[in-house]
Amino acid sequence: GKVLPGDLTHYVVPDAGVVLNYLDVLELTELQGVVFTQTACEALRSKGRFYNHLRNLLKDPRHDCILFANEFQTYSHCPREKGESQETWQTCVYAAAVWFYNHLAGAMKVVMITEDQDAVARFGSLNSGVFVISVQQDYLQNFWPDLQEAHEVYRNISQVLQEKESEDSQREFSEHLPAEIVEAGIKSGRYLKGTLNVNRYRAQSEAFVTNEEFSNKSPLINGVLVFGFKSRNRAVHGDLVAVELLPKSKWRGRGTALAEGPLDENSGEDGESNPLPTHIVGILQRNWRDYVVTFPPRDGNQNQSRGSQRILAVPWDQRIPKIRISTQQADALQDHRVLVRIDSWPSNSLYPNGHSVRVLGRVGDMETEVQTILLENSINVPPFSEAQQLREMPAQPWTVDPTEVAKRRDLRDTHLVFSIDPRGCEDVDDAMSVRSLGDGLLELGVHIADVTHFVREGSLTDLEARSRATTYYLADRRYDMLPAVLSADLCSLLGGVDYAMSVLWELDAQSLAYKDVWFGRTLIRSSYQLHYELAQALLNGEEAPVPELAQLDPKERAAKLSELTAALEKLTLVARHLRAQRDQGGALELEGLEVKALADSLDQAVDPEDPLVNRLLRMMATQAMSQALYFSTGSQPDHQFYHYLALDRYTHFTSPIRRYADMVVHRLLTAALQVGQEAEPARKLEGNKDLEELAEHINTRNRAAKQAQTQSVALFQYLFFKERDPQTDPRCVADSIIYAIRDNGVLVLVPRYGVKGPVYMKTKTGEVVTAGPDGTCEWQSGTVQRHPDHIVTTCGCGSTTFRLFDHITVRISVLPSNCHADTLKLEVISNKPHRSSAPQRPDSQGRSQLVQEVVRLAEEAQEKAAQRPKLSKWEREFQQSRAPNLYSILEEIRELALM
Amino acid sequence: MAGLELLTDQGYRLDGRKASELRKFQARMGVFAQADGSAYLEQGNTKALAVVYGPHEIRGSRSRALHDRAVINCQYSMATFSTAERKRRPHGDRKSTEMSLHLKQTFEAAVMTQLFPRSQIDIYVKILQSDGGNYSVCVNAATLAVIDAGIPMRDYVCACTVGFVDETPLADLCYAEESGGVSSLALALLPRGGQIALVQMDARLHQDHLETLIEAAMTACKGVSKVLDEVVRQHLQEASVHSRE
Repeated sequence: GKVLPGDLTHYVVPDAGVVLNYLDVLELTELQGVVFTQTACEALRSKGRFYNHLRNLLKDPRHDCILFANEFQTYSHCPREKGESQETWQTCVYAAAVWFYNHLAGAMKVVMITEDQDAVARFGSLNSGVFVISVQQDYLQNFWPDLQEAHEVYRNISQVLQEKESEDSQREFSEHLPAEIVEAGIKSGRYLKGTLNVNRYRAQSEAFVTNEEFSNKSPLINGVLVFGFKSRNRAVHGDLVAVELLPKSKWRGRGTALAEGPLDENSGEDGESNPLPTHIVGILQRNWRDYVVTFPPRDGNQNQSRGSQRILAVPWDQRIPKIRISTQQADALQDHRVLVRIDSWPSNSLYPNGHSVRVLGRVGDMETEVQTILLENSINVPPFSEAQQLREMPAQPWTVDPTEVAKRRDLRDTHLVFSIDPRGCEDVDDAMSVRSLGDGLLELGVHIADVTHFVREGSLTDLEARSRATTYYLADRRYDMLPAVLSADLCSLLGGVDYAMSVLWELDAQSLAYKDVWFGRTLIRSSYQLHYELAQALLNGEEAPVPELAQLDPKERAAKLSELTAALEKLTLVARHLRAQRDQGGALELEGLEVKALADSLDQAVDPEDPLVNRLLRMMATQAMSQALYFSTGSQPDHQFYHYLALDRYTHFTSPIRRYADMVVHRLLTAALQVGQEAEPARKLEGNKDLEELAEHINTRNRAAKQAQTQSVALFQYLFFKERDPQTDPRCVADSIIYAIRDNGVLVLVPRYGVKGPVYMKTKTGEVVTAGPDGTCEWQSGTVQRHPDHIVTTCGCGSTTFRLFDHITVRISVLPSNCHADTLKLEVISNKPHRSSAPQRPDSQGRSQLVQEVVRLAEEAQEKAAQRPKLSKWEREFQQSRAPNLYSILEEIRELALM
Repeated sequence: MAGLELLTDQGYRLDGRKASELRKFQARMGVFAQADGSAYLEQGNTKALAVVYGPHEIRGSRSRALHDRAVINCQYSMATFSTAERKRRPHGDRKSTEMSLHLKQTFEAAVMTQLFPRSQIDIYVKILQSDGGNYSVCVNAATLAVIDAGIPMRDYVCACTVGFVDETPLADLCYAEESGGVSSLALALLPRGGQIALVQMDARLHQDHLETLIEAAMTACKGVSKVLDEVVRQHLQEASVHSRE
């Protein structure tokens, strides 16, 4: 377990009351040497609040805190006195502190902190070497006078506590039923259990409770409706709740008022199914996390509450209700984004009570907004600590260890190894080689950086990488999974000697048929670091400067160059062959059929005049597909997982630098390789249960990473247009294409910027868009009629039709929203394609320029172009089937649609 | 609400024991004068009283007699006040019949019955307070009683229940652990030879874990045998002092 460092001035023992109420203060990493007593933990557990929080804290190697099982210790245990409740069992905590002090033979001072003044008076004078003091006045002020954060958090919490006591008891909600009754009701079928999902667009009124069980029972019922704020009964989005069906007299249909609600991507077709209305009777599990909220600008109305210290802050996520926060800094925090934690939601309060944890910054600042996106997706990426960076990394400059050399197959002199990556790529995690073995055999090698050699399982770096699970790519930056020392230097297969995990295939040189395969750890020396353009140029036989050869004399250079080119040609040949083989194979496999049919039909769905149509269709096809997930093969029966990627088994291990899943695969592979040998694996492998949990964790992290990426792109699009005047700037007018029809408008894609969004055809006052003879559109009162493939607006002077895949011209302006994510507003200005004088730029360039522009505007010195996770072309060709599988379609679309 | 945390991250169990720690043993032999052998055993809060009569002639129908060995007759019962709920427990209900049968099998394996052909040995066990591991406490108490009666046995019979939580075997379960959804296994062992007299398990457990579980159970039984041995030696010492006087 963990050991407290010895170089502290004192250890601190909080009593049960402090742990219960001020855990937030104690969890600051700056407070070191905290000894939690078992008594305090049990008190916390009996309250059911934050117990898991505390457990994680104790497990986290970054926090210097330990648990002392004092009730199990003969000499520190003392029986509870009559009438003493669990929270006020100070004698026991004090006895533990005294024991601890004596156990350390007085070498370290022990401080017991409590909020109870009686306890201070009772024990403080006992004079046994243990100081008993109160949290705020004595402890924080004397020991941590500079730790403002702790003082701030302390003040916030104590204010919340005070208010809780003096709360008037006017009921706003009905009480939740006790847990036993709810459990019994669920068993008998009277109540249903499920997760609450609030409708993002009608957050005040509509929410659904979904549960895997009902969707299994019948596909028609995919959830029950919880209508209205009152029947939601203090549940927050994501909570596990129990619901009861309402009496029939209170039934009402689901709001079909699409006309007033904003257009959303999903509410297209499901108007027919009417979910059953219910109300929430109990909450089984709160899933509260920390929320980002915005403090509203101060206006006169807020002053009415006493002391004017309580502010209703609006969460960034629309699905979360407003949170009431008590603070003395209300003025300073106006228009700031703040991270808050919900404390409680008593039944007499319309809103939950919370306290602020951290101030992120002013609304609209790029840094603040990026932090908001990260936090809202629960992405926690602190800089790597010193321990992770330095202590666990091998000393620099790093040299090859001779004992490792003996264990590995040495490919340094025998193989010509090189890597091909996008230009400017820093973390090269795969390289390849090809050579002829004679006897008509060809050896193809793929070499992956051996990250697991450097990152020992269970080390701090490993724990951090595991909790991050992936490298996060945002529009303008990225957060690495591993410290830079590893990802950019040690593990990168740059020039020089590297450890690698290699796969060597033996192929027949003529037919390219598979003969044999070898897996293992190797030692390689990458001779060339190529990029795509260079590789293509070499293949085409063009004159291209290879930086590694620049120093050599012309003759030698020519020889080396021809060697390299030959290798590249051979690889291309193999790649083509494999692709052709997969194309054939795909048609033969049963489960491949659908995929291939889909891919084929997508290939045929081309409008000769408009390349965008095909791209849009592909994009929409992918949206309908479910996301690939990681899982532990031991947890599912065989027949459940064959259909992923139309292959029997599939895993990947080519990017261990940026995917934790690949590191897991590396470890499994290493263990599998060791099975044959005498040596036992150094550590026991993870069991099925652990792997399943890990896979689930990686899946949620990947989802969060993707979501954060999307949101950050949207943010940059917004920031870009915020600076422009939509009326005058030509860049705000762009061509767009209609890809979906809704009741009161259409959804369009602006290819130039990769912006997707709704275009309204009708306003709330009944005005509709009509096009004049030259195509310019105006607002006039009229009606809108929706058809499957077109939408018609009719007014006094005629009607206009907008068809699917029509090109229209839109004006892009910003729709500022103070508290939530800002959005872009698209307005139709003409139903003709936009003819701009400037030639259309390719998308990816347009987008990276957009980001750069924003970054420049934000006065960021660093200019970083958008970096998306890039799958190297070669990897895709060697590791995966190309044309007819979902994966490559998805990849292509991701590139095209700029998601 | 999550269930009870049977094993904390720090490796403590509900009652503060480590995973492989046994409960406290308190035992006395020769508690009754009129019986041939008797013993009282406390294992934590589980308390049992065992009485042995015999070997003696077969009582009742003679047809039950075996010509080459003794018949072992076991009876298990629980006191009305032994559990939290006070309940009359009639003789011969299913549970106690099953338990009696298990005890009989266990002791047939351990007692050298072939020395007493055509005779009978009665073993009566009563649970006075039940806090988990009833079977094992009964076996341990009965072993002491049989030794007290001076009936030759191959070895001590030691029994222990083990459970499996978070990939860790827990030795000598208490009631809270047994009822907390742990898959538990009871094992009776002749520790010197390592022969298993009885294994009983009616919970679900993955096959991979069975071996570790049995391993843990055997270790625990060996621990029990040391304790019992100590008890017997202590008793002998006291008895010899008495007889000298």
